Amino acid sequence: MTEDEKFFAWLDGELDPAEAAEMAAKAAADPELARLAEQHRALGKRLRGAFDPIASAPVPEHLHQALRSTAQVIDFAAAKRARAMRSLPQWAAMAATLAIGVFVGTMVPQRGSAPVEVESGKLYATASLNEALDGQLASAPSGDVRIGLTFRDQAGKICRSFTQSASSGVACRDNNRWQVRGMFAAPEGQGSDYRMAAGMDPNFAGLVDSTMAGEPFDAVAEKAAKARGWK
Amino acid sequence: MDQSSPFEDQLAALLPRLRRFAHALSRDPTDADDLTQATLERALHSKAQWQPGTRLDSWCYRIMRNLWIDTARSRSRRLAREAPEEKGLNIGQDPRPGIEAAVDLRRVMAAMTQLPDKQREVVALILVEGFGYREVSEMLGLPIGTVSSRLVRGRTALLAMVGEQ
Repeated sequence: MTEDEKFFAWLDGELDPAEAAEMAAKAAADPELARLAEQHRALGKRLRGAFDPIASAPVPEHLHQALRSTAQVIDFAAAKRARAMRSLPQWAAMAATLAIGVFVGTMVPQRGSAPVEVESGKLYATASLNEALDGQLASAPSGDVRIGLTFRDQAGKICRSFTQSASSGVACRDNNRWQVRGMFAAPEGQGSDYRMAAGMDPNFAGLVDSTMAGEPFDAVAEKAAKARGWK
Repeated sequence: MDQSSPFEDQLAALLPRLRRFAHALSRDPTDADDLTQATLERALHSKAQWQPGTRLDSWCYRIMRNLWIDTARSRSRRLAREAPEEKGLNIGQDPRPGIEAAVDLRRVMAAMTQLPDKQREVVALILVEGFGYREVSEMLGLPIGTVSSRLVRGRTALLAMVGEQ
């Protein structure tokens, strides 16, 4: 520990009694050091005084809500695993996909080209959504689709979360196309233009969390994955 | 804190402090609450990884700090793109009561944002949140000497910026 560090450790009550007494004597004998101690004590007080009001302010309701609603996300993920283990008959999975398809269809009726199409029971990105998933980097948003996280799923496929208009979803590579794994309408008034958007809609957060294996890509990995054709 | 209360209750009790730390890390109240929310969600998802009997607060702070690092890059991009003029410091849901406190928080916060991230987190954890050096060293996975030297640099720079008053 340097002398400087020892001085501050003393201020912070981190020294053992013998060392502390030694430093206290030193500060008492040195006006310069005593002044510095005073200044730093005052700084600490100001820092706490500035930030403490945040800790004593009422917590916004939406954060308490997050605590409650994320409990449901866990249930959501658990329910998903339970479903998988029971291995539902194929028709049920088809019905679920269809429900998403119908949902998506009704969500964007006014668009000339729907962002998704159903093929062999799977939902694929088309039009501007497909283009954005193929070409857009999170660092360079353009158009009406915003890309959030890029990551791999448990099977090693590359997946990307996206937000378009008022909906957010996750799409993963499937035979050189983007298969939409799920899509949710954003709650009223919550545009999600932020990488943390997963924090906003518990359903969407649950989908991202239950799809992702490991950590999301950083900007370099995202770019490299694009260069490799999302393989 | 009563270790026997349900995990969610303990998290709820930590919320005010986690929010304060989020505000020290972020420069914008909206980001801070997004960060707090993301931390809650990650904590709930990772509930099984927390070992009862160990400190839940340190565990949550670590989650928040890691999430913040993960998103720091995109956040600074967004700020550069949308809010070069320090938007957000005046947002409606600002929790700071009183003009004077707001002025001082503003000044202190502005100074905090000038600190390199590595110094800022150590300053916030020790000087604002009141953790000990050893706790922070374990929380951040850093040698205690590194924590100590970052703290010295951070607080010295802060004092130079906000003055003595």
